[in-house]
Amino acid sequence: MATQRQNHTSLVDRSGQVRRQRQLTGKQVLLMAWKNITVRMGRSMLVTSGIVLALAFLTYIMSSDAILRSVLENAPPSVKETLSESGKFAVLEDADAQIQTRWMVGLALLVSFVGILNAMLLSVTERYAEIGTMKCLGALDSLIVRLFLLESFFQGIAGTTVGILIGLLLAFTESLFGFGWTVAEGVPLMGLVPWNGIFSIIGIAMLAGVALTVAGALYPGWRAAKMKPVEAMRAQV
Amino acid sequence: MAEEQKQNTAVANGDQGKTDEEQAKELLSSHVVRAVGLTKVYEMGGEKVHALRGVDLTVDRGEYVSIMGPSGSGKSTLFNMIGGLDKPDTGEVFIDEVDIASLDTFELAWLRCHKIGYIFQTFNLIPVASALENVMMPMLFAGMSQADAQDKAADILRKVGLEKRLLNKPNELSGGQQQRVACARALANDPAIILADEPTGNLDLKTGEEIIRILGELKSEFGVTVISATHDHKMLAASDRVIVLTDGQITKIKKRSELKIQEGTIEGGQDLFD
Repeated sequence: MATQRQNHTSLVDRSGQVRRQRQLTGKQVLLMAWKNITVRMGRSMLVTSGIVLALAFLTYIMSSDAILRSVLENAPPSVKETLSESGKFAVLEDADAQIQTRWMVGLALLVSFVGILNAMLLSVTERYAEIGTMKCLGALDSLIVRLFLLESFFQGIAGTTVGILIGLLLAFTESLFGFGWTVAEGVPLMGLVPWNGIFSIIGIAMLAGVALTVAGALYPGWRAAKMKPVEAMRAQV
Repeated sequence: MAEEQKQNTAVANGDQGKTDEEQAKELLSSHVVRAVGLTKVYEMGGEKVHALRGVDLTVDRGEYVSIMGPSGSGKSTLFNMIGGLDKPDTGEVFIDEVDIASLDTFELAWLRCHKIGYIFQTFNLIPVASALENVMMPMLFAGMSQADAQDKAADILRKVGLEKRLLNKPNELSGGQQQRVACARALANDPAIILADEPTGNLDLKTGEEIIRILGELKSEFGVTVISATHDHKMLAASDRVIVLTDGQITKIKKRSELKIQEGTIEGGQDLFD
């Protein structure tokens, strides 16, 4: 060990002011958050897979419904008749079935909502003791909240993107199996796909996925950050 | 950015440019910790538990104080108050003659980050992070750059004899090694005070002695003030002063000279509780 005595910094600075902890820069926090995700990769993937599943389900239900609707509305009248006869639009024409679809969309939203919140709540609450320790080591409350905000934002973006891609893939595959590449002579399926609608579904899903993920992490993270360090360290979840 | 980092590093390293006047002022008040009339009542299952019933305590700079007492005597409560981890119901804790109840969150965070190093019975290391990353954490909180923090953390870990264990996660280390990582982490930002709550409580005899030796070294080599809550009699040998806490009150204060010390063990340590 070094032999010289150190000058320990006093709590009060030269001008008689009590020293204050500084906010870290965005880059420093970003690095820390990234590290936190990669260092517990397995757990992060598990949480993210929950988001993926929820968003895949939501996107699939919404876009497959939109595609079906668009084909029904925009296909040439002659084609519509044949398709109608084949029973492919039963879902849309039958009042009961239509209500059923609405229920499915509602259910999909609910499942994503509960699934994501649950995954995030768990992943944060299991880190209460860690948050308490971080506070003992001098982390500002705001740093903890910023860390969770960023971590959940990364997870939200990653999980939601993958989920949307899977959902779209499922919806398109289903339509292809249902109608084939060409719905009728000279009427390609892709020409009937409501691209604007699909894009707005992607937008909605993206927004919902990321917002839910961040909200799910932020609330327990904020609560833990507000706790006294000893309480957080003792917290049994 | 570079400018910013320089500033942050300066903060992390403490102020080198202290004037003589300031140092003199600091020496004038030899107390680093002063607690006055601390009381704390917990509510447990509808019943009131008096954890502390009016504790007064002063600790000098560079002193090694052991707070002893049976479990439930209020040791940990007192420890948490001194460390600014919990607030007393009544009474004040002064560190460098500043009432820590008056500190806002930024000031309290600075205190926890730079002034005090904490060591816990349960080690409280971050399980997913390596020994090196655990020690780096308080430095990063202080705004030090990754590269600087890495060098300094490796240096401190070397000092506690863990140079071959830098990249091991806590679950790959023995209890004694984990506590040494915790000691290194407590030293991260060159604190004036080390607060150790039952640091040997979860360790066997030999590794416990190792930790006590490290704490003693910190005291003598760095002039760090060590305040340790314990009921481990081995710790008494290293202490300058032993404070016995019984049922939330200080019942006995003994100086090192008043303890019969023989070959590093305590004779009659038991009579402290008489």
